[in-house]
Amino acid sequence: MKLENEDALDNYVICHACYTLHEAVPIQDGAKACCTGCGGILYRYDTKLIDHGLALSITGLIFFALANIFPLVQIEILGLEQFITIPKTIFSLFDSGFYIVGLICSFLIFIFPLMIFLINLVLFTLLKLRRGEKLSKELLILLAYITPWSMTDIFLISIMVALVKLIGYAQIHMGIAFWSLIVFVMIDIYIVKRVHLSELWMLRKRIILEDKS
Amino acid sequence: MIEIDENRLIPCPVCAAVNIDKGKTNTCRRCGSAIYHHKNFSTEKSWAYLITAIIAYIPANLYPMLITNTFGTHEGSTILGGVVLLWEHGSYPIAMIILFASIMIPVMKFLILIYLLISVKYPIGKDRKVDKHKLYYLTEVVGPWSMIDVFVVAILAALIHLSNVSIVAGTAATAFAISVFFTLLAAHAFDETLIKENR
Repeated sequence: MKLENEDALDNYVICHACYTLHEAVPIQDGAKACCTGCGGILYRYDTKLIDHGLALSITGLIFFALANIFPLVQIEILGLEQFITIPKTIFSLFDSGFYIVGLICSFLIFIFPLMIFLINLVLFTLLKLRRGEKLSKELLILLAYITPWSMTDIFLISIMVALVKLIGYAQIHMGIAFWSLIVFVMIDIYIVKRVHLSELWMLRKRIILEDKS
Repeated sequence: MIEIDENRLIPCPVCAAVNIDKGKTNTCRRCGSAIYHHKNFSTEKSWAYLITAIIAYIPANLYPMLITNTFGTHEGSTILGGVVLLWEHGSYPIAMIILFASIMIPVMKFLILIYLLISVKYPIGKDRKVDKHKLYYLTEVVGPWSMIDVFVVAILAALIHLSNVSIVAGTAATAFAISVFFTLLAAHAFDETLIKENR
């Protein structure tokens, strides 16, 4: 294989699932490139990714705030009413002495998701304004480290499992936060889990190149 | 023009940029992270995390996960006990989810990681038939889902604390959370480039 210089390696992609080397080809807007070996998605091309990302980051943050302020579920058991919010769930773990579980949970379902959306917000703003080359690099590196540790989707399934366990013992009323959390998880899947980090790196490179020329 | 051997291209573990494998002191040309490649201690970090996780998984199964206090009587249920109880009550889907998330996934992850760690270093299991990249990818994707049980316990404990009826998390919750945490670390610490080198 012959290349002009090392930077020309940016035209190649290695499938993250099966490690096959591919040459990146230009594709249509909205299309996706798939791996020939395993069929996994290599990258997508979306000209409006920055706008979508910025809009959905803000929406996500609003829904995240709603999901944390309002009660998640309300139950009636033996004539008494109880409700939980996400912070209350974490604090009750600390109150009952489970510091390690509390710490792990607070990072996985509160701090990391919040950080990811804040980073995304700053990142897309920087890309939109075409500035902050160094900062966007640092943010992308940070994002790569914390993305695998955000587990709001798993928490959502856990809520449902917990509620199914309670059916028959208590009356269950879903709160506003529950629906907000569903929306938040959907946005999270769309803009964080679906978009590969390499797409953001490619986007950043394109913008830098456009600025230089 | 430079000539590059295709087999010496590796992705950066952080930003997935394609890099030339230059050996020990290699940094990613895009994000600057070290593409760490230690010749002698390639799998030790992953082993250390994995063994910690396996040790923590033992008390996670022996101690009660949930303690239910009803009118003064304490009743603890372990992970397996909880699954059996749910099955007897007739909520099969939930029993299956908990069984998968808390028992099948962790054990499967331990076995897959042990297999991968052994097969990249020793001549055992060096066959092309098993797609090791797919196995590794599978552990990365399904791994976090074993946190379900910990979250469920946290929610139930926060939701039900009346004077007569209350649910408290048990010792196993801490052990299980630690176990899952360390399996995730072990999976992340595993150097995927070793699979390719040792084929």
